[in-house]
Amino acid sequence: MGVLRKYVVVGMIGLLLLGAGCRSSMPSFHIRQDVDFGYIKRVAVLPLNNLTNVRYAAEAVRDVVISELLASGLVDVVVPGDVTAAMDTLGIRSVSSLSAEQIKALGKALGVQAVVFGSVGEFGMVRMGNISAPNVTITLMMAETTSGSIIWSVTTTGTGGGFMARHFGARSETMSETLLRVVRDAIQTLAEYGS
Amino acid sequence: MGGAERRRDGRGIRAAALLLVLLMMAGCSGPRQYVREDAGVRTIKKIAVLPLASLTADENAGEKIRGLVISELLSRGVDVVEPGEVTRALLEMKVRSLGALTVDDFKALGKRLKVKALMTGSVAAYGMSRGITTTYPEVSIHLMLIDTSNGEIVWSVWHTAGGPSFWTRHFGTEGLTLSETARKAVREAIGALL
Repeated sequence: MGVLRKYVVVGMIGLLLLGAGCRSSMPSFHIRQDVDFGYIKRVAVLPLNNLTNVRYAAEAVRDVVISELLASGLVDVVVPGDVTAAMDTLGIRSVSSLSAEQIKALGKALGVQAVVFGSVGEFGMVRMGNISAPNVTITLMMAETTSGSIIWSVTTTGTGGGFMARHFGARSETMSETLLRVVRDAIQTLAEYGS
Repeated sequence: MGGAERRRDGRGIRAAALLLVLLMMAGCSGPRQYVREDAGVRTIKKIAVLPLASLTADENAGEKIRGLVISELLSRGVDVVEPGEVTRALLEMKVRSLGALTVDDFKALGKRLKVKALMTGSVAAYGMSRGITTTYPEVSIHLMLIDTSNGEIVWSVWHTAGGPSFWTRHFGTEGLTLSETARKAVREAIGALL
């Protein structure tokens, strides 16, 4: 019985420590089950809509999305400058009100099977009791370019200061670490259900 | 409890502790990167490093990291085009924004600078951040290597370094400076490839 108690205590401490460093942000997502994601080999990541007061939040998140999509091995990504040029040519000023026709036109211009777009809802420090912690919320969507319809959508939020960091001095995440985790969690939903 | 039973207990606890350490280390591994292996990225001998975009309050962050990237590449035996040559080529091509460089621009730059690859990217964080009990340096970079024969991305990494260390948080010891953290971020990012 004593041996069992030791294992339980060690296990609980382990879980608490792990939970402190890697709290899951539990993304809420939608994925079209009738779509074969295998045919999507190349995507364009459009500029994200910045809904925060942080000047470069959208650009910073977009870079992580591009890097993580590539690192996941799921798809190739078009060079960002080509996306800007195609949007200019097609007269697309805002990504928050893309029509199906515009998505199809972008697909043709860039030679991609899908476009990824979305927004950054939170990007900064928030007060949690008597401390401040990094907080990031993003929404990403993927639309296929043959029909212009959305086939994947995810909203993820992550906060850096966990219970252990607040009360027991465990290491809290930096802003960049929270950002990276949030993007990875979002793309993981595509990797798990879309491949 | 007999001696054999105590040894078994000890082994069990050691195994649990080892597993715990391994699990915790799994979350702290090096940068996750994308490499197009068929592009022969690791055999490239000469690279032009373009100015990096500063996505931080420090407008010079891009230039600071660019200098470190050039040094790191040179120290690893990769030849780097003079930054002045790169600037002149960008001016001659009338490039207004680095974020707007297209595949055709990359191909043209490659020809002009006589390089097989161009490095581009951005700096997302460069400065001191405030933690729960302490301030700490934080540096985050995104680097991409573009093949100038087709304008495709052949290597990409997003990496971050810094944060409050255990010893700084609990014992007030001096941690890495901002410059040291920047060097660490660049070294680890480039080290993942070369």
